[in-house]
Amino acid sequence: MNTPRTNGSSPRWWLRHEVVLLVVIAIEILYFQNVGKNFGTAANIANIVRQSVEIGLLALVMTPVILTGGIDLSVGSLLGLCAVAFGMLWKDAGLSPWLAALGALIVGTLGGGLNAALITRLRLPPLIVTLGTFSLFRGLAEAFTGGTRAFTSFPPSFLALGNGFAFGVPVQAWVFAAVALGVWLLVHRTTFGRSFRAIGFAPEGARYAGLPVEGRLALAYTLAGAVAGLAAIIFVSRVTEARANAGIGYELAAITAVVLGGTSIFGGSGSVHGTLLGVAAIAILANGLSRILSITAISRELSGMLTGALLLLALAAGALTKTLSERRASKQSRPPSTSPPAP
Amino acid sequence: MNRLLPLLAIAALLFSSCNKPADRAGADGGGAKKLTIALLPKSKGNQYFVNVEKGAREAAQELGVELLFDGPTNTDPAKQNEIVENWITLGVDAIAAACENKEGISTALKKAQAAGIKVVTYDSDANADARTFFVNQATAEGIGHTLMDEAARLTGGEGEFAIITATLTAANMGAWRKTIEARLAEKYPKMKLVDTKPCDDQKDKAQQEAANLLSAYPNLKCIMAICSPAVPGTAEAVKQAGKAGAVKVLGLGLPSENRAYVKEGVTQSVILWKVQDLGYLTIKATADVAKGKLNPGATEYDGGKLGPIKIEGDNLVLGQPFIFNTENIDQFEF
Repeated sequence: MNTPRTNGSSPRWWLRHEVVLLVVIAIEILYFQNVGKNFGTAANIANIVRQSVEIGLLALVMTPVILTGGIDLSVGSLLGLCAVAFGMLWKDAGLSPWLAALGALIVGTLGGGLNAALITRLRLPPLIVTLGTFSLFRGLAEAFTGGTRAFTSFPPSFLALGNGFAFGVPVQAWVFAAVALGVWLLVHRTTFGRSFRAIGFAPEGARYAGLPVEGRLALAYTLAGAVAGLAAIIFVSRVTEARANAGIGYELAAITAVVLGGTSIFGGSGSVHGTLLGVAAIAILANGLSRILSITAISRELSGMLTGALLLLALAAGALTKTLSERRASKQSRPPSTSPPAP
Repeated sequence: MNRLLPLLAIAALLFSSCNKPADRAGADGGGAKKLTIALLPKSKGNQYFVNVEKGAREAAQELGVELLFDGPTNTDPAKQNEIVENWITLGVDAIAAACENKEGISTALKKAQAAGIKVVTYDSDANADARTFFVNQATAEGIGHTLMDEAARLTGGEGEFAIITATLTAANMGAWRKTIEARLAEKYPKMKLVDTKPCDDQKDKAQQEAANLLSAYPNLKCIMAICSPAVPGTAEAVKQAGKAGAVKVLGLGLPSENRAYVKEGVTQSVILWKVQDLGYLTIKATADVAKGKLNPGATEYDGGKLGPIKIEGDNLVLGQPFIFNTENIDQFEF
């Protein structure tokens, strides 16, 4: 499964995408440390973590999907549907919060399964399928609640998941860490992960090579659905309210983090740790800007703008280094006498 | 492994730099400094809250208070909570909030209270234990009485009138209708409420219902629209029926949405509170709560340029609603 790029002629370590992102994060932190108010305090770091867990979870499972060359636009809507399902199972069906949470996970898995079935059985393009379920899931959530009903007054034991601390760290951070480890192992340490990349790199090639392409795709989309259900549970616990507009716009935030993290939108290459850095870079930027008092009124707009600029810059830098290294490689393959040494 | 080393070095650098500003936060906490008040709107781009902010800025300048204004730009229900949580760690002295999701935001506001931050709500309340005071723009009585008195003034105190509401079940509108009916029974014996129709908070449906009312009750003198989309909807129906001026239209809504109809003489009166004053009073009261000058149990409050403000329980009442008509509607932008 080796692409020529990873063989020998890989970019130098300081040009690797993850390193560039780490530097960006370092600059962000150092900058906000100096100009932002109370930026580096433990309480604020906890804020950043708590507020990025749901989008982070979606970004984690979006990574394998994009690695296969696909996309899942429905995860934010599915989060909303699972939140409503959770609220109804708890309030209307009278289940305990934890059984209701299990129900929400099942709804998420089924939602992801629906995407998977349409994509693998009917061979429909993921963009179209998930654009459809994007509207379908949100529409269902709104239909169940009439658009206005909200579920509230959950027991404190459940709210601790989104608002409590365990061993000095927000409770949901542990859940996030477990999922992150699981997805990282899946993508980087199993044959599943390699097949995701193979499918994204050359779907037909993967099929001819005997890979169970449909099965692997189904796994990626179903996993995305299940984790959207998990994110819904954490979201409801954090916001202490379940309503149909939960998770609105989260799918694009997740995709942004994945692409910023260096995963190619065409599939085939990328990493889970890159995605984690992408999530961190965006979350730190948004939080840090809101701590500069003089611009606090426009910090939200500014952070959207800068996130966009950062994404474009990262993509442009990636494309540029690739072009440069290809040019260098082609020069090196020529006889040395015909070209001067590169500076 | 060689590749990982520089990464680890950078990570270590970041980690070590993270601990520094904790002391600064401590240093910031003490001392009598300029108060910092954070003002949370339901949504940031909404003209209504833009005007709240204007009034708030005026109060902040007058009092020498640092004002932070930030709110959601979309309907993500987590945003208000996140903004409040960030204000807590920012170390603001007080928060004034208009609550989109009552229950959800109350969790975050209680966290703020636990961190020693004073909380006041305005426009739409949180749970009572999540704030010290609610700056109430208008009581049900104030709204109901103003609407009924104005309807009587427009019709000369006699004749048939009808009401268009959002739904027959909405709690606030139910309360308004009750006070309207009580006022009617008490003061205007020659007026008769012939019908009350719901419009589901939709302009089109309000227009339809108003048209039906006009044909069903040929002697109708006045239509009172008590949810904001119903005011222009009703006006459009009256205009199309060619009854502008003959059937009076009044309602509870935004001046900006009704300006054209008011100028054409279709709608006579639009009733709402002065939104800028709401922002002004909110910041003034929040500052005084933070300074300990305004405490639970108080029954009256000096509203500065607004004069004395009545306190009912833990509600500061802005006062009687304001009536917008041809003479003054151009002075208001919201």
